[in-house]
Amino acid sequence: MKIIINFFKGLKTTGKTTRMVLFLFIINLLFSMLLAIPMYNSLKNSFGHSEVGEKMAEGFDYLWWQEFRDEAQGLETTFTPSIIGKGAVLNNLVDLIQLRIFDSPPIIIIFVFFYITLHTFLAGGILSTFYQDNPKFTMKGFAKGAGSYFFRFFILMLISWVMLFTITAVLGSVFSPILDKAFDNSQTEVTPFYLVLLFSGIIFFIFLFFQMLFDYARIKIVLEERRNVLIFIPEAFSFVFKFPFSTLGLYFLIFLISIVATLVYILLKDFIPQSSYLGVSLAFFLQQVFIFSVIWLRCCLYSSQMNLYRYLR
Amino acid sequence: MKQIFVKETRLLKKILALSFLFFLLLGLLCTSAQEPLCKQIANYTMSVTLDTKKNLIKASEILSWTNDSENSIDELWFHLYWNAFQNNMSTFLTEASRRGRRVTGFTKDDWGYCQVNSIKIINNPYFEAYDLFPDMEFDQPDDENLYDQTVFSARLPHSLEPGQTILLNIEFESKVPRPIARTGVYKDYYFIAQWFPKIGVFIEGKWNCHQYHASSEYFADYGTYDVKITLPSSFIVGATGEHREKINNEDGTTTHHFYQHSVHDFAWTASPHFLPPYIEDYEFAPGKSTQITLLLQPQHKKLKDRYMNAVKNAIKYCSLFYGDYPYTTSTCVDPAYNSGSGGMEYPTFFTGGAYFLTRKGISSPEGVTIHEFGHGYFYGLVGSNEFENPWMDEGFTSFLDTEVYYAAYGEPLYNMSYFGIPVTFKDVRIPIESDGISRHRQTYNMDIMQRFSWEFLEGGSYGANSYSKAELTLRTLKRFMGKELFSKMIKAYSLRFWFKHPRPEDFYAVVSEFAGQDMSWFLDQFIYGSGKLDYSIDRITSNKERQPIGLFNGIYKERERKKEKTKDSVYRSEVTVRRLGEAKVPVDVLVVFEDGQEIREVWDGLYRWKKYIYHRPSKIKKAVVDPEFKLVLDINRTNNSKKMKPNRLAPLKWVSNWLGWLQHTLEFFTIFGG
Repeated sequence: MKIIINFFKGLKTTGKTTRMVLFLFIINLLFSMLLAIPMYNSLKNSFGHSEVGEKMAEGFDYLWWQEFRDEAQGLETTFTPSIIGKGAVLNNLVDLIQLRIFDSPPIIIIFVFFYITLHTFLAGGILSTFYQDNPKFTMKGFAKGAGSYFFRFFILMLISWVMLFTITAVLGSVFSPILDKAFDNSQTEVTPFYLVLLFSGIIFFIFLFFQMLFDYARIKIVLEERRNVLIFIPEAFSFVFKFPFSTLGLYFLIFLISIVATLVYILLKDFIPQSSYLGVSLAFFLQQVFIFSVIWLRCCLYSSQMNLYRYLR
Repeated sequence: MKQIFVKETRLLKKILALSFLFFLLLGLLCTSAQEPLCKQIANYTMSVTLDTKKNLIKASEILSWTNDSENSIDELWFHLYWNAFQNNMSTFLTEASRRGRRVTGFTKDDWGYCQVNSIKIINNPYFEAYDLFPDMEFDQPDDENLYDQTVFSARLPHSLEPGQTILLNIEFESKVPRPIARTGVYKDYYFIAQWFPKIGVFIEGKWNCHQYHASSEYFADYGTYDVKITLPSSFIVGATGEHREKINNEDGTTTHHFYQHSVHDFAWTASPHFLPPYIEDYEFAPGKSTQITLLLQPQHKKLKDRYMNAVKNAIKYCSLFYGDYPYTTSTCVDPAYNSGSGGMEYPTFFTGGAYFLTRKGISSPEGVTIHEFGHGYFYGLVGSNEFENPWMDEGFTSFLDTEVYYAAYGEPLYNMSYFGIPVTFKDVRIPIESDGISRHRQTYNMDIMQRFSWEFLEGGSYGANSYSKAELTLRTLKRFMGKELFSKMIKAYSLRFWFKHPRPEDFYAVVSEFAGQDMSWFLDQFIYGSGKLDYSIDRITSNKERQPIGLFNGIYKERERKKEKTKDSVYRSEVTVRRLGEAKVPVDVLVVFEDGQEIREVWDGLYRWKKYIYHRPSKIKKAVVDPEFKLVLDINRTNNSKKMKPNRLAPLKWVSNWLGWLQHTLEFFTIFGG
């Protein structure tokens, strides 16, 4: 019940600050556009004047892509047929869990790093907005909150990285020999398959858990206005372990909603034929609605978690 | 007394040897249900026992070998392929190691070998009994690597004349290796190939008997294999040829009897885990049928129909394209995971390879199944030399497998594996022309296609040339000659060289015969050349005809100012076509004008570029070089066309999709931040 109450509270609070979500969405879009422009030029130069352009407008020309891939450098290497719909989401999931993001071209790694840092900056604004008695988004208030918490959030981010990568490395050293053994000694591919699935699930859960844990650390910083960052981590830990069902329940409720949103997006995207300007515009619109909903759910998570924290404290 | 005894003993030995020969030949005749399909040159009768505790094969082999050449032969050469796996200094493992495929973690019991314990000539009309063992010596004809013991020779007591047959009794012991390549034992799954002392091929006046190399395959003469395999009764067994008999012995073992004539190899598999064999008689053409046996791993039970249909499609289309499948059996083995035996071919017997979560639209297990069955034609029936002309089996079979696959199933879907779960993308289909082009594009100038299999710069180049480039060359030839003519030609080539050992020049001759011209100019460029094939439309322009301005025979003409475009406007249009690669093939050029008019040109492609000029009332819309996509070897297809007005939708559409991915990536990874 606590979960539902605070989830709806969070929903309501986020609803009141839709302009903030819109602002965050525009930042995401503009940031992404910085790389989309060179990618557009690459594609245009590659097939713009060729007959391939017509095929690519109608569908996907696999032969062209093979040529493009074989010559691709930097950003271009990220263009694959699997960026469509479900592929985009699944690629990111694999990149996250297996940390394949580090195999990406440097420009993508740098961009992701900057975006995470930027988001750490924005988190201060988001939480300080939700902290108000009557949450209302103003640019001035948002910027003030973002600025005042950035340093502490940044330190938290670095600590979370150290912890995450340490845990991942430890788990990796435990899982790797088991997997190697399973791959080398199995007479069927079924055993290693399930092991990979299990270990991936564990790692994903740990990532999510840490996100939740550090969310509460950030919430505590905003609510309690103390300077010592380090103390918030054990406190967040103890809060989560004191109320595991409520904290995890709320987190996974919103996580579940985001999975449903993703599935709806994937299904709808498959139905839109992108062979005309109208189709492309519709698909683009749907895509932006999806990204907006992802950002909205992230804000909703913050808001609900803040409410839950206040409720349980 | 002693002399009389010696004479009697000799006489007795002769009688015994003649009786043995008589019964052997009688046995061969009686067991042959069908007439052999060709000369039976190398005939093996083997009795084999597999000790599954020690992974040891003990066997005796009676080899009847006929000198089918016009030369007298003074020595015999043999392969002992498994000696490639007896230590890390063999030629095979040295080459493999150079390519990064190192053998690690091997214990004493993991190494394999094939050891001849005795080799004797059996008394027959041409030879008296003679022990060849003392004269046995290992040879290294390819690289003089003294550690390599994959080839041995033995000098004969006297010459074997043309047409004469020699009978040998060979006792040997083979230790089954841990799988390194293609063969071995993995837990209790055995895949036994290239496992017995196998005579080389005497051809072109000499022995052709190469050492075993990391990227080489095999070459042998045709004959009859009559093999009895004894092993624990719990094992399910599959092998080359007909499974004639199964006798349960009192000691808990079973003897399986396999028999096949007109083949050049014999391989077998055994595992207690195979599902009970699926056996179906398949009529692939009116009145023509063969028995398909499928040996499946338990976790692939649900793939039974996909495997079975793939074999049927392979038999049906190969019979149509390359001649009716002539054998009475075809056995497809689904190999154990980690056994290293997947995707291999042996006469009437081959391995596929599958993943338990495959999906509809993905070409597995069909692709590999068709490919390996297809080798039954190009390697099995057309017995090219895989050591020396690897493209003649791998290239032809790669061509065959895509032709059969696309005829039977259409274009497969692009797919990706996420955590081992395959996901298909229904909007992205993989066209036949894409097969192999990427590998060729990346390695085209490393080697030429016609090299001995171990003489390529690197493994990737061996693969790209022997498989991909050869396939692309055949597909280009097909489109260049025309589908109908090519189909006749390839079928004729196949049938003409069944049970023979063709060389590249034999293929040249058949192509030229059907093309009605010497086709060396075409084939040489791709088989013996490494130049790339790349035609492009370099430039297209359309401008109004220039007005004559100035003095013309003393009369001054000045510029006329035309305010509007008139119906009489004439445009001077130019199309520049370039040959960016070294390979030269005549090519079509299609020019399309805005008023719908089309002009088709044929360019010989000899010089580096060609400019076409038109004076017409309409501007050019687009120009395409090779509009029918005949030149599948062209490494850049995108530059084959140029349009006056670019398509603006396509880059917008795809960058928009890519943008969605990037936006999601950025948002997704904030899990690591605020």
